[in-house]
Amino acid sequence: MSGEPESGGGVFGWLDRRYGLKPLVEFMRHKEVPIGAHSMVWYYLGGATLFFFAMQVATGALLLLFYQAGEHTSYESIRFITTKVPFGWLVRSLHCWSAHLMIVSLITHMFSTMMLKAYRPPRELTWVTGFVLLTLALGFGFSGYLLPWNELAFFATAVGTDSVKAVPGIGDFLLQVLRGGADVSINTLHRFFGLHVVLLPLATVGLVSAHLLVIQRQGMAPPLGHKVAPRGMRFFPDFALRDLQLWLICLIILTSLAVFLPYGPHIPGIEWELGKKANPLAPAYPGIKPEWYFLWVYQLLKEFPPHFFGMEGPQGALLLISALLGLWAAMPWIDRRAQRDEASPGFSDIGAAALLFLGFLMLMAWDVGGGGDAVKLPDPQQSAHVCALWALGFAAVATALRALFLHQRYFLFTGATALQIALHGLAGLSYLLAAAISLAVLAVGLLVLRARGQDRSEVKP
Amino acid sequence: MKTTPPDVVHTRRSLLDYLLGLGFIGFAASVFYPVLRYLKPLAAAGPGGPLKLTADELTKLTHEHSVITRLGTGRVLVFEDAQQKLRALDARCTHEGCTVQYVPGDSVIWCACHNGRYDLDGRVLAGPPPRPLAIYGCTRDADGSVTVIPPKNSSES
Repeated sequence: MSGEPESGGGVFGWLDRRYGLKPLVEFMRHKEVPIGAHSMVWYYLGGATLFFFAMQVATGALLLLFYQAGEHTSYESIRFITTKVPFGWLVRSLHCWSAHLMIVSLITHMFSTMMLKAYRPPRELTWVTGFVLLTLALGFGFSGYLLPWNELAFFATAVGTDSVKAVPGIGDFLLQVLRGGADVSINTLHRFFGLHVVLLPLATVGLVSAHLLVIQRQGMAPPLGHKVAPRGMRFFPDFALRDLQLWLICLIILTSLAVFLPYGPHIPGIEWELGKKANPLAPAYPGIKPEWYFLWVYQLLKEFPPHFFGMEGPQGALLLISALLGLWAAMPWIDRRAQRDEASPGFSDIGAAALLFLGFLMLMAWDVGGGGDAVKLPDPQQSAHVCALWALGFAAVATALRALFLHQRYFLFTGATALQIALHGLAGLSYLLAAAISLAVLAVGLLVLRARGQDRSEVKP
Repeated sequence: MKTTPPDVVHTRRSLLDYLLGLGFIGFAASVFYPVLRYLKPLAAAGPGGPLKLTADELTKLTHEHSVITRLGTGRVLVFEDAQQKLRALDARCTHEGCTVQYVPGDSVIWCACHNGRYDLDGRVLAGPPPRPLAIYGCTRDADGSVTVIPPKNSSES
């Protein structure tokens, strides 16, 4: 990379005479990553996500050599891969672990982007393409889940596809198109297989290219308040080598997990034991849980009453989830302070509150503290109580750390979320009533802040 | 011959643009309509009428007090209550479509996915299901066989 691009000989010269590569090399030589008072660690997460995606493509291609979609072959071929094919268990384990790690790094990447307000103009489309990539990643997870055609796959898909019928007008059509029939059947698997190995990968490669292109065009976001970074790190070779080093670390973590825990850590939602073959005529088994990144959705579906403002419960839950995701995607346009390149502590607090909201739902979905065993079901109220204590404990520690180390002073959204958790878990109010009260308190708090003009206080993001 | 006034030329261009636009819409429709029809699955064919349980299903019903069978494209839960009365309900939870089960000890129908509970007539007792389970007819014939009859207003497709 550091070689002089003017040399006329060699392979480079041959290519340069034909395709004019010099401007590209010049661009790469001058590409810099901003350095500021902020930590640079957040700049590497996109690269880590890309690494895990590449691992998905590689291991997925290997799995395709043996996997056969079909009523009598899907389950059997996965069993063959894991028990008979040399290192088949490793390839499947790598594929599963890499999928989970990809989601982890993707979500961390998005949250760090939000906390640093890197979505602010002119990088709105980087955020939006990233958001669509997140939905594609969730689509990968959901469609891949069905392919082993085991019990868990069957019910996860039954629930996941059933929820699309809540879409007004075309819900039934969508349901039929997704399932390839009225019910989940092997037709559904064929459709999901096509999605998982052709449509989603093509869409992902296209969008990743667009995402990278806009990043190359604009460079990485400098810290808030600096239109031009005070100094930079050369991308080649300084940053690229660090990226490479991180990929090696990712590879070590991935292979260690894949080798020592080939079927996951045995936590519901993070395990991929093949289990029993799907039987559409068997009832759903106790303790059935979706993947960990869908647990909050699962728990919301449980918390919504049968009817909600004239809608059926699942419709209400899905409307809320869509609204939340829509707001998340529209963040660059909602956060007007960041648009003016000003600190926007409220949005940092929204990020923290979102983590608390999701964390509490996840703990409840795991029935933490709810007791229960093979015979007795966990008690949801008892579980909510214990989960609330944990969540509020985490919130207290996180808030103290934010105040002490990040000098943040804006905790209104976190406070409202904590209030909801306390009202539901400790005072025993229903989840939605607790949410309504907390939203009312939040609205009053925002009005008071606005009236006092305190929302203009200078606080670090 | 008189030259055409400019506004007439403009109108003609607009008309062509309009026709071109219409052509594009027609083209898009002719592409997407077959694709959408291709994606929508054919109406499933299956015995939608009364159904006799197989010998295996009867054995399961005797030993486990319940069995789930396929009727048309739907799934039906056939069970024997504490009074040994045969009953049949739609086996698909009205919440999110998981398959429910009969819990003989508690005399309830339970869905493990989101903890929905119904009574033995399919009415919601607790949890998030928004609607009751549809009731199917179920008779034990003289020869010991069991027949499941879909509800009259069954919308199985």
